[in-house]
Amino acid sequence: MTRGDTLVVVAVVALALLSVPGAAAMLAPAGDAAILSSPAGSTTVELASPGTYVVEGHVGRVVFEVAGGEVIAAAADCPDHLCVRMGAAAPGRPIVCAPNGVSATRASGGEGLDAVSR
Amino acid sequence: MPSPVRQNSAHRLAAGALLLALAALLGYLESVILPPLPVPGLRLGLANIAVVLALAMHGPRVAAVVSLGRVLIVALATGTAGGPAFLLSLAGACAALAAMVLLASAGPAFSVVGWSVVGSAAHVTGQLLVASLLVSSSVPLALLPVSLGLSVPLGLAVGSTVRLLLSRIPDLSLSAAGR
Repeated sequence: MTRGDTLVVVAVVALALLSVPGAAAMLAPAGDAAILSSPAGSTTVELASPGTYVVEGHVGRVVFEVAGGEVIAAAADCPDHLCVRMGAAAPGRPIVCAPNGVSATRASGGEGLDAVSR
Repeated sequence: MPSPVRQNSAHRLAAGALLLALAALLGYLESVILPPLPVPGLRLGLANIAVVLALAMHGPRVAAVVSLGRVLIVALATGTAGGPAFLLSLAGACAALAAMVLLASAGPAFSVVGWSVVGSAAHVTGQLLVASLLVSSSVPLALLPVSLGLSVPLGLAVGSTVRLLLSRIPDLSLSAAGR
């Protein structure tokens, strides 16, 4: 590797580290709910209530399962099943099926207080 | 073996076609044999070996034909042309190609390893940007730190493979422009 190559590696790693705060800021704080987004819109589901949610995407369906306080993509119509392999959605690590336009993000359930003002 | 400046159009065409076939084959084998990595848009990038080889041996024009041609061939073969998956592949290929050509034009300060690393990083960044547009949300960009971090070892692996190919195969090394 040349010195320039080393600089490239350092620059990409630095970019990855610098993007961490931005990525964290993009996501709502993890809480007791998950936001399921699709081309048709989004819905918030409570993680305390087990259930199955079928979301229609651009190229097929994604089946999300809520159980044990977590949300996973249990099945998908796409051939690669990347979203199924991603496991449960976690803070900073949403489940994304980009070709389908479908995602699941951990979020606050919206039941609590956001702030107290006097 | 002719030097790059002496290559005639027939030689360039044949070499480009060979590398395009290699890229399509490597991309197909990767999708069939190796399981996808559990991060959207992230792959080992075996097909990029042919693109980096094309850039080193024949310059940006042939590299563009190999890179974009592979995306089109795979899309036609899998019936995804014009769909979201095609747009993601195209975005990644264009971003990677642009970044690698930019670095290659900077001179000998950067070798094929650096080209490959920057191409890998640009590939995932381009795909995540288009994914955000497809999802109409910034959520996919939250994967940027993980994707960029993993793109470094993947880019190093592809770049090292290309460097090995250029140094070990006499016919290739004689016409290589960068190592």
